[in-house]
Amino acid sequence: MMTAFSVERMVNSLFGLLEAFNPIAEPYRRFHEKLPPKMQQTVTAFMFILPFGVLYAIFTILPIFQTFYISLHKWEIMGTNIRYIGLKNFERLLTRDTQFHQAFEQTILFVALTIPIIFVGLFFALMLNRPIKGIGIFRTIFYLPNIIAVTVIGLIWSRVFASSGRGLINAFLENFDAGPIPFLDQGDLATLVVAFTTLWWTVGFSMLIFLAGLQDISQALYDAAEVDGANRRQQFRHITIPGLRRPFAFLCILQVIASFQIFGQVDVMTGGGPAGNTRTIVYNIFETSFLYFQVGYGTAMAVIMFAVLLVISLFQLALFRDQGVGS
Amino acid sequence: MTFVGADLARKRQLVERRQGSVYVLAVGLFAFIWMLPVIWTVATSFRPEPALQRNLASLLPLPFTTDNWEFILKSSQLWKWLGNSVVVSTTHTLAQLTVCSLAAYAFARLDFYFKRPLYILVLMGLMVPFEATFLPVYLLFSNLKLHNTLIALILPGIASSFAVFLLTQFFRGIPLELEEAAMMDGAGRFRIFLIIIIPLSIPVITALAIFTFLGNWNSYLWPIISATSSEVYTIVIGLRKLNQAWGDVNFYGRDMAAAVFTALPIIIFFFVFQRRIISGIAINSGIK
Repeated sequence: MMTAFSVERMVNSLFGLLEAFNPIAEPYRRFHEKLPPKMQQTVTAFMFILPFGVLYAIFTILPIFQTFYISLHKWEIMGTNIRYIGLKNFERLLTRDTQFHQAFEQTILFVALTIPIIFVGLFFALMLNRPIKGIGIFRTIFYLPNIIAVTVIGLIWSRVFASSGRGLINAFLENFDAGPIPFLDQGDLATLVVAFTTLWWTVGFSMLIFLAGLQDISQALYDAAEVDGANRRQQFRHITIPGLRRPFAFLCILQVIASFQIFGQVDVMTGGGPAGNTRTIVYNIFETSFLYFQVGYGTAMAVIMFAVLLVISLFQLALFRDQGVGS
Repeated sequence: MTFVGADLARKRQLVERRQGSVYVLAVGLFAFIWMLPVIWTVATSFRPEPALQRNLASLLPLPFTTDNWEFILKSSQLWKWLGNSVVVSTTHTLAQLTVCSLAAYAFARLDFYFKRPLYILVLMGLMVPFEATFLPVYLLFSNLKLHNTLIALILPGIASSFAVFLLTQFFRGIPLELEEAAMMDGAGRFRIFLIIIIPLSIPVITALAIFTFLGNWNSYLWPIISATSSEVYTIVIGLRKLNQAWGDVNFYGRDMAAAVFTALPIIIFFFVFQRRIISGIAINSGIK
């Protein structure tokens, strides 16, 4: 009550200040009151939406159209050399640019390699979903990496896996005259290292979503099953798994979208290397636009990526719609 | 039936209490192994450079030194970057909450022309990845000569479709009677928004604020292309540039201290808001 009271006082003094505008506001108010009710609300609503609308137009709506527009041009980042070339960027991307094809394949590989994160998250959730005192702290521990910046995570794990004796694992192996294992100097290994780092970084999110899902499954179902003589395994198969269908679908879509956008880990840990082996689509866009200054070509890649993500997002929207957005 | 249920619950409790401590120990051991790289990072930041040259693989900070940390804490650059991060993320979060809650109120409570198409237009933003818009936005800031300013780090992303969606859903659930009573007293829409809707929405607004703040603090792609002068680095970008400058040969311990320094503020933030973060994650990802 106390807070509501002081909020009201603050609001009142704010409105007191606004009274200075009365000479302009008063004639408008008289005009406003003569409008039909829906028209009145339309004016009010547009004023409420205006700040959002301006920013949304500048930073989301317009840039989408500009992205398409720029992708039809040879366009250098300084804006000096701009020429309309139609669909040539796309033609080159789709038919001749082997580096882009490689980046696309690499991104798909990352998507495939990071899908297991969901299952590890499920495993963690099941491991921690027990009414034991003190188990809550492990939730915190496993989730904690997820809120830390990619530069920190990437630094730690590139140090753990550094290829020479300057990495933790190889320094450890040196003690036994073993190794060194070229974790980050060999394409396939580097890919696995980046995927594992992503797992360590983000698995806590899946875990928390599954834990929330598990808590939504009614205990009565398990009790009833136990009375009916179902063993733990049967309970898991017929109660837990169907009960987690929604969080599972949700996480799959989110994971695919996130993995398609992998950039930070790659930039920090491998710089796209070795020999372009860990270069993802976003990294390729970044390189093309800011190292080679070919924004036109970079946006063409962004358009292709947008198209792919759009298809995936349509599934996501269907999930949102289930929650009653449509009304 | 209730008797059987209670009986089962008691049986389960007994079994779990017996197995509980062993189980916690096993999970604890696993968590320890899972966190080994972090323990190693912290330990390394307290070891002197010559010792690190000889052997990296030690989980104990021996021989112990605070040299690396003294260097890091005395670095005015790191504190400056930390300050930049605080300013950017706080402003970004406050602006997003203001702008998006105003729009959400209109979509939740007012009946106006073009409401449905406009709301659909906002929701379509949910499907637009940052990659689809960031190059034109980059060019826009170039033309306005706004790169290497904090404004450039604050502005993009303020108009968040997800925030509007989440707040609209929540505002719709607030009983209309409260508003009607205030309207009887002659309160206008804006006053109702401030004294009824906002105070009643503090839980969802807090949850949104926490995740917006975290997301902006940790953002990487945009600041690394927009902020190229060390004056305006955020702490996240600053750490990256330090790593590049120091390499991993000469200042290993110092680098690790900088990494811990970068992570610490957000870890403190996490522990302050721990309950809200853990419970808010399902809400904020839109699944609940």
